[in-house]
Amino acid sequence: MSSDIFFAMAKGAILSADKSEVLQGTLDMMILKTLHVLGPQHGFGIARRIEQVSEDVLTLNEGTVYTSLLRLQQQGWIESEWGTSENNRKARFYSITRRGRTQLTVETENWERISGVIGRVLRLEAEK
Amino acid sequence: MTSSIFRLMSRVRGLFGRKEADSEFDREMQTHLQLLTEQFIRQGMDPKDAWSAARRQFGNTTLLRQRQRESRTFLSFPNILQDLRYGFRMLWKSPAFSVIAALTLALGIGATSAVFSLIQGVLLTPPPYQKPQQLMLIPSVRTDGRKTDSTRGWAAQQWLEWNEKVGAFQGIAGYGWTFNFLVRNDGSQSMQGMEVSKEYFRVMGLKTAFGHGFDDSDFGQGHVKSILLGYEFWQRAFGGDKQIIGKTVRISRWDSSPVVVGVMEPGVRFLPSPGAAKEPNYDVNATVDIWVPADPDPKNMKDPGWYVVGRLRDEVTPQRGQQELAALTASEASAEKDFEGFSPQLEPLTDEMNRDGRRILLPLLGASVLVLLIACGNAAALLLVRGLQRQQEYAVRIAMGTGRIGLLRQVLTEGLILAIFGGTLGVGLAVFAVHLFKVVAGHAVPRLDAVTAGWAVLGWGLGLAVLAAFIAGAIPALRAFRLNPMEVLKDGGPRGTAGIGERRLLHGVAMLQISLTLALLVGAGLLIRTMVKIAEVSSGYNTSRILTMSVTEVQDQAAWGPFHRHALERVAAIPGVQYAAFAWGVPLTGNNWHGTMDIEGQPPPAKESDKIELPMRAATPDYFKLMGLPLTDGREFRQTDDDKAPSVAIVNQAFTHRYFPNSNSVGRKIWFGSRDKPGIQIVGEIANGRTDDLTQEPLPEVYLPLWQAHAFSKHLVVRTTADPRTVVVAVERELRAVDPTAAIENVKTLEQIRDESLASRTFAMHLLTGFSVLGSVLTLVGIYGVISLSVASRRRELAIRSAVGAQQSDIRRLIFGEGFRLIVGGVLGGIALAVVLSGVLRSFLFEVQPSDPATFIVVGALFVGVGLLACWAPVRRAGKVDPLEALRYE
Repeated sequence: MSSDIFFAMAKGAILSADKSEVLQGTLDMMILKTLHVLGPQHGFGIARRIEQVSEDVLTLNEGTVYTSLLRLQQQGWIESEWGTSENNRKARFYSITRRGRTQLTVETENWERISGVIGRVLRLEAEK
Repeated sequence: MTSSIFRLMSRVRGLFGRKEADSEFDREMQTHLQLLTEQFIRQGMDPKDAWSAARRQFGNTTLLRQRQRESRTFLSFPNILQDLRYGFRMLWKSPAFSVIAALTLALGIGATSAVFSLIQGVLLTPPPYQKPQQLMLIPSVRTDGRKTDSTRGWAAQQWLEWNEKVGAFQGIAGYGWTFNFLVRNDGSQSMQGMEVSKEYFRVMGLKTAFGHGFDDSDFGQGHVKSILLGYEFWQRAFGGDKQIIGKTVRISRWDSSPVVVGVMEPGVRFLPSPGAAKEPNYDVNATVDIWVPADPDPKNMKDPGWYVVGRLRDEVTPQRGQQELAALTASEASAEKDFEGFSPQLEPLTDEMNRDGRRILLPLLGASVLVLLIACGNAAALLLVRGLQRQQEYAVRIAMGTGRIGLLRQVLTEGLILAIFGGTLGVGLAVFAVHLFKVVAGHAVPRLDAVTAGWAVLGWGLGLAVLAAFIAGAIPALRAFRLNPMEVLKDGGPRGTAGIGERRLLHGVAMLQISLTLALLVGAGLLIRTMVKIAEVSSGYNTSRILTMSVTEVQDQAAWGPFHRHALERVAAIPGVQYAAFAWGVPLTGNNWHGTMDIEGQPPPAKESDKIELPMRAATPDYFKLMGLPLTDGREFRQTDDDKAPSVAIVNQAFTHRYFPNSNSVGRKIWFGSRDKPGIQIVGEIANGRTDDLTQEPLPEVYLPLWQAHAFSKHLVVRTTADPRTVVVAVERELRAVDPTAAIENVKTLEQIRDESLASRTFAMHLLTGFSVLGSVLTLVGIYGVISLSVASRRRELAIRSAVGAQQSDIRRLIFGEGFRLIVGGVLGGIALAVVLSGVLRSFLFEVQPSDPATFIVVGALFVGVGLLACWAPVRRAGKVDPLEALRYE
């Protein structure tokens, strides 16, 4: 599973038109990280956090967060339960599982390695 | 890996509670949108704008819901259910179409799955031996490559050495066929059995169902001490009584009564014993009645009376077994003159067992597949035409956003539903057909008793239905797939018409159907011609008003003569009986005893394999008169030609023709064994008769007087003045009066025997005729449909033609021409196909070539004629097109 992101990237690189593929893989990772750092959150909270961190570089349909959440849940990396939000609304709260944490570590390492490689390649290109 | 399992499981869970998940997700989205709206309001937006801004930022909720649903469970599962529901609704709406299409498919599927069931039962069910593919029969062939009239077995000395020395085999065993009677006071019962050597059960991997197998102490010379019963015989003769184990039974011709030590497992049949193949009651496809232990007699080690079977070691090829065995046999032959001239020829047991079945069933399977394809053609045409009527609907659906794949799936689903209905109906037909086959084809297909109309039929039927759905659905589905919605919507032309492209496609389908049907018709025609030719052949003897039955005196030798003489006297005295005779070798029964003999004037044989072997017959004096075989020279047998008189024989003309071509046989001598003995004088010559096989030229035959030959098993032959079946009861009563224990079996008229000898041809002919009639009807319906559609689609064109001056006859000629081209094209294709395919029938044909021009011409012309009749109604309709229609349409 650790190769998911790599494939996503590779696919994105080859089929350059299909940007959402890249986004999807990375969105999964960002959500995992958010849940890891902030603890249980509902979908709205996750969307806000990503918006906040990305500082408008990333624009996303917030709906896609839910597609990502379903996928993560099916992998068993997060779990969810119904709860009450700040202004007493019923909302589904997501939290990261132990398997999810392991996955996050693996994917973070993977990402860093790949982005490092890509960075080096791009720098080489620039020096030339 | 684990994650994919997780994902799969959660998707399986997703199949259930779809509605709950949907509404939960809706609530989740609502919450999100509200929170987002509130945030925008807090940031100072107008509440109305805030709501739409939130929706914008969130994205398309419907699309999201759909995507969510799809990833929650398997992508297409709910869609398939929907397709099925929709398909059912569409078929329900046009019941006539659905019934016709399903019935059409049912006929094809029924025919094919019935034949498949036969194949499953006869060819694919392995014999009850362990790893049957390792078992090899080891028949002998002449080293000089010449054919032998009868197959020779092996000497015990030879196969015992093979068993010891040939490394390629796990074991080699000898066996033989044996025949006897279970003696009972109310009429004895015949038993077919196998004599088997010590190694046999181990080599074959057979176990007993009850009791135990043979011990080494059961094998030896002298009286047979113990026997095993076959399971089916045990059921039949002893009512499945387990108490029989350990008890003795009385068997004719045996001095002592053997003990039954066990009952063999069910379903064990014979191995071929070619030397016994001409014995009465020999039926290699029957289950074995009894098993008798047999040990090579140390005094007769060179007697070639054994048939041999071997089991190859694991991983050893038949080729290696063949090489090792051939090498050893060659060295045996060089050391011993009696073994010279023959070498072993390995034959996989399963090949040998399936030879007859394959010969008849594979051509029939081919024929039934043709019927299925014809039926698929009709169903495809029906679906295509309906697809044309629904083009508008398809176009609208594509325009509304149904994916083309979705449409393809929908069309295929409808085909599948039809085929499943057709398949279910077809299975019903097939079960009926299998029962019918079992009644009519008993003598035509070997081991038919093992065929059951059970789950296999259902399995084949449904499997074929799916296949049929695919074949029949593919063309309409592809049409729908390639549909251009713009064209259809723009056109908005009348429904139920076809463009030139569709019409060409349908013509193609119909032509293919015609070709397939013609191939079937040619096959049926060839077989019918064969049967006519066989009926025309002069057999040389009478078959009408003759009753036969096998009659056996099971008491001791001394009773033999008096029993037969008394029996003949009493039977001949029955009113309505013209002649009565005992005979061994009654025509077409397959009874054929080959004797090795020396004939006066022929050079003494140099090698074992050069000895003269001829079919021998035995008969009482009235036999030739009874059969209508005229005497051509010398005299007939007399009542006095018995043990006290000199040995005599009568030969047929073929004998004289072969051995004394320029003179006559009467007065010559023949010898069995050495020429030092007195020999047998030929006293008469009779005309030739096709006694062995109606399709074969008569062979040389030697008849001996029954009073001298003392045949144990034989037929009582009775010629009557009226229907021979009316005297059966009286004949049996007279025989029982002479000896109540006598075995009276196989009561048949000679006509029945004649029909049985032709059974496989008759069965093939009936089935092929049936299939081709079925195929023809389907195809004619197909032609009618295609031409009708063509007329319907061309109404406007025809109206314009007649408006500008075409006569009715011109228009009729136009449509007629279309039909004619279609039919003739199909017929030509069919003749080409038939030329390729008819070769598979070669072994069934008699005096007819597979490429028989007469059959081809007659069948082709006939089909063109009938096909044109199918065009008649649409052609008439075309002629009546009103020129005013041309104006009305615009």
